[in-house]
Amino acid sequence: MLKTEELQVNIGPQHPSTHGVFRMLVTVDGETLVDLKPVFGYLHRNHEQLGEVNSYLQNMPFTDRLDYFNSMVNNHAYARAVEQLAGIEVPERAQYIRVIMDELSRILNHASALGFLLGDMGAWQTSLLWGLREREKILDLFEYVSGARMMCNYSRFGGVARDIDDYFISEVKKLMQGLPRYFDEFERLLVENEILLVRAKGVGVLPKELALSYSVTGPLLRGSGVPYDVRKAEPYAVYDRFDFDIPVGTVGDVYDRFLVRVEEMRQSYRILEQALQQMPEAEGGHINPKVKQQSLKPPVGESYARVESPKGELGFYLVSDGSGSAYRYKVRAPSFINLSALADMCKGYKIADVVVILGSIDIVMGEVDR
Amino acid sequence: MTLSTRKGTVNIVEVNRHDNNIHAGQGTLKGLDIVFRKFRKALFGKANTERDDTEGQFNVQYPEERLVLAEAYRNMPILLYDDATGQELCTSCFQCERVCPPQVIHITQAKHPETGKPVPAAAEFVLEYDTCMSCGYCAEVCPFDAIKMDHDFELSTADHPALDVHYTHLLRPVSYYEAIAPTMWAEVRDAALKKLQNNIKRRPGNIGVDHGQKIAGKSSAAAPKAATPAAGAAGRKQYTGPIAKVGTSMSEDKLARLMAIREANTGKRGGPPESGAHAIEADVATNAAGQVAPSDQATSGSAASKATGPVAAPGKNMSEDKLARLMAIREANKAKQGE
Amino acid sequence: MTYWPVIAVDAWIGLVLVSIIKVTLILVGGSLGMMFLTWYERRAIAYMQDRRGPNRVGPQGLLQPVSEAIKTMTKEDITPLDADRVVHFLAPVVMLGATVLAFAVIPWGNLFPSSLRVGVLFIFAVTGLHTVGMLMAGWGSNNKFALLGGMRGVAQMVSYEIPLLMALLPIILLSGSLSLTDIVTRQGDWYGFGWYVFSPVGLTAFITFFIAALAEGERTPFDIPEADSEIVAGYLTEYGGMKFAVFYLSNYMTNLALCFIMASLFLGGGNGPGVTALGTVLGGLLSLVYFFIKALALFFLMVLIRGTVPRLRVDQLMGFAWKFLLPIVLVNVFSTAIWVAITRWGPQAQIFTDWFGEPASDNYLRYGVAIVVTLIINLLAVYAVMRINRRQPSDLTEEEIALGLAG
Repeated sequence: MLKTEELQVNIGPQHPSTHGVFRMLVTVDGETLVDLKPVFGYLHRNHEQLGEVNSYLQNMPFTDRLDYFNSMVNNHAYARAVEQLAGIEVPERAQYIRVIMDELSRILNHASALGFLLGDMGAWQTSLLWGLREREKILDLFEYVSGARMMCNYSRFGGVARDIDDYFISEVKKLMQGLPRYFDEFERLLVENEILLVRAKGVGVLPKELALSYSVTGPLLRGSGVPYDVRKAEPYAVYDRFDFDIPVGTVGDVYDRFLVRVEEMRQSYRILEQALQQMPEAEGGHINPKVKQQSLKPPVGESYARVESPKGELGFYLVSDGSGSAYRYKVRAPSFINLSALADMCKGYKIADVVVILGSIDIVMGEVDR
Repeated sequence: MTLSTRKGTVNIVEVNRHDNNIHAGQGTLKGLDIVFRKFRKALFGKANTERDDTEGQFNVQYPEERLVLAEAYRNMPILLYDDATGQELCTSCFQCERVCPPQVIHITQAKHPETGKPVPAAAEFVLEYDTCMSCGYCAEVCPFDAIKMDHDFELSTADHPALDVHYTHLLRPVSYYEAIAPTMWAEVRDAALKKLQNNIKRRPGNIGVDHGQKIAGKSSAAAPKAATPAAGAAGRKQYTGPIAKVGTSMSEDKLARLMAIREANTGKRGGPPESGAHAIEADVATNAAGQVAPSDQATSGSAASKATGPVAAPGKNMSEDKLARLMAIREANKAKQGE
Repeated sequence: MTYWPVIAVDAWIGLVLVSIIKVTLILVGGSLGMMFLTWYERRAIAYMQDRRGPNRVGPQGLLQPVSEAIKTMTKEDITPLDADRVVHFLAPVVMLGATVLAFAVIPWGNLFPSSLRVGVLFIFAVTGLHTVGMLMAGWGSNNKFALLGGMRGVAQMVSYEIPLLMALLPIILLSGSLSLTDIVTRQGDWYGFGWYVFSPVGLTAFITFFIAALAEGERTPFDIPEADSEIVAGYLTEYGGMKFAVFYLSNYMTNLALCFIMASLFLGGGNGPGVTALGTVLGGLLSLVYFFIKALALFFLMVLIRGTVPRLRVDQLMGFAWKFLLPIVLVNVFSTAIWVAITRWGPQAQIFTDWFGEPASDNYLRYGVAIVVTLIINLLAVYAVMRINRRQPSDLTEEEIALGLAG
């Protein structure tokens, strides 16, 4: 076969579709990708070190800034880690509130992630803006209940910062009347679009074994056909009370990931329905009043808590030496670990596919670089 | 497909890859069809204001139209003082300084002019707005409800040093906060004002009111009655009040319904703001005769001062007569609840 | 049909004056049209996305393009240090020149700047120059993304140019002329509804031409050379200020030209009910109105497609153009020949006259038969092509894969 000179191209750190400041050092032969080296760290903010200096409570708003699409989920995961460490009971009502927030987060994350993926593919923002429309509505609700749209800072140890009221619940119910229409129109818009099919099918295949060996999680892993979901594997909060399915793909390409996300939104909707139904019977207030939030000093020990963030398994590892701040604080960021499989997924495809594959991983650089 | 694990059974659904369908352009046509439908709806100006609505224009024409901020909305911290006396609520207990994650709060405690002992008031209070992360912890931990989160988000400036905000610029009257967050203030008002009275006893002379004098619209601490809600907010940019929830582009009757719901909610949430005696109520009532009770400041302010005070959100863009009708509706609603 | 008015003051002075007026009108009209198109596209796409689009500058934001033009003109003109200065400078000139040349023969309604006998050929000869400008920009910028974009542009041109021209052949067969003037005039039958798009062959030609025109005008799904999510801005990466504006202008003027061409070739140009009845002046005005409605409707279709579908990969465009469009277009040329034979041949083929009667514009039997026959041929062709292309890579044998048939 004819060999031509290879070209090294830096995709990023300033590039329209690297989802932040991420650099891919790409070697191409014509348009075909020969090698890819991910380079990151441009958004490093010393998060883990800060977590070892701050008090436990002070670190909560910093977790908002990890995966800034899903601050509610980050708060939940961190609060769970501290609760495990300090042995704090969480009232049932607070658990339900957290689940509702998590699932709303999942819908808004997938709505925008799918939009961004299609934007990377070149669809001119239509699907993205439809997704952002739903996201806006959910963010308004977050603002109503927590005070901020994105940096919610909502969880506290043993519960959540403010209780939700009837207005919030009625608005969520109203939102949920519209959501199925959004899902339908989104599917109608693009799921069977011929161009999407040729762009996504067979592109960026991540075989099951490789996915497992890279320890990727979330829709990426489920797209490769492994039905792993923390909500089922290790049910936290009140997830064991809900009936929902885990969507899995069969091939492990971009299209499977796309479809898994679409289906996950519908499953989140199911969970929301059940949670809203069960919540009035839940006991306890929105927070455990016995917890000293500011001067929390957990006993010596360690804890690891994980939740199913929309991007994958989000884990917080904490070691306490009995003082007011953590001795060791580590974040298992799903974006970061999912990103490690990028090079293997991309090799042999075209440059145009690289951005699509990157989009299908759904990374947030705040979480990758920390 | 179901998978049995130790933790129970897991339902697994395989996604439908549409492998067996014939794709001859009908997928694209379907997409074109739905996009065209969207276009048609939006072209004829259908507004998308309801949360269950998925069609029509959903953007808000800022700055003419504004979304109404939730009461709990937190932007930057502010400090409160009592309208009536100009007494600041802050006692410089350093709770907020200690909890602040980015450590942007710097307090200097006031000293007794004669004995040199610390008194429960702050001499200087600096907040670095440029580094503040709006987490709201300071407002959450403050035992005296002196520090609260503002709703003003139009803070962009070319003057960077000005973002180290000093005490005089942080102070807002209590009525200002009450206007932006009526229910949240109603929950804590009695306790906060009681604590303030206790603290005032330990403050000699003018300490704790000094900073209030410098606020625009206040001539001296001796004449605190000038501090009407509207005056307190004077000099600030316009901001929308906390009344409506959805937006300014809603129709009249919809708005009325919304108001009714909100009123009901307020009642449910533990006491409407209009109940209970208020320290400055009498002052204000005498001062601005003809105004409605200050508990309904949002409305009265807009009527009296024409959108300079804490205006009810939808009132901003309305014409005079529309506003009048709106007020009538609100009055009726209140009457209905047997106020 | 109305020619531009020629005042016979003195033969050559009149010619020069008229030419200058024409050129000015075309340039001004083209640029204004481009400005209008950018606004039109942005508003339309905004409505599709539940937004409002630019609505601040001027009534309904109509002056937004003006403000942007001022902005780009006042920007600093930057040439990269290592760029090939001459090529870098000339690239936008070549691009714009190619576009403006095409406007020389494009009709505005039933009015023609100049009635070239080989107008159709001329248009596609000069718009082919586009790619030269693209490649110059890509190479001259000395930027890897720009180079990739320029090469993509060439690869794309190789793919779409042949189906584009082949799709035109049926129209030339039907009208028997290469002159746009004649082609438009011939569609004036049947109360102004004798458009070529109303025949199966014309429809097939229109659809294939439209798809190829999307590629020619670098519209989604074929905006591959400047794919902003992949290669930053392709060949435009190193351009800013006025040079970028010139590229932009040329791009939109090309789109405008393509809409005009499609409206003239397939949708009857300015023809419509009442044009001939109203006489020269009123009819001419009416024809302009019809023409712009048609052209803007076509552009709306382009915008609708942009608002809906993702972008194809460059190799997929190549496969699509060569394996799908080209066979269909070739078959269409064949069925057009049959159409012409059935509807027009009298003495040449006595057997048709025996079966269907004399050829005439009111011999509906002949047209009916022609419609049925060509429709069947075209549908069979589409079916066969899809059947062949439907084969997945997994269906191929190893030998075929080794031969490179898999892609």
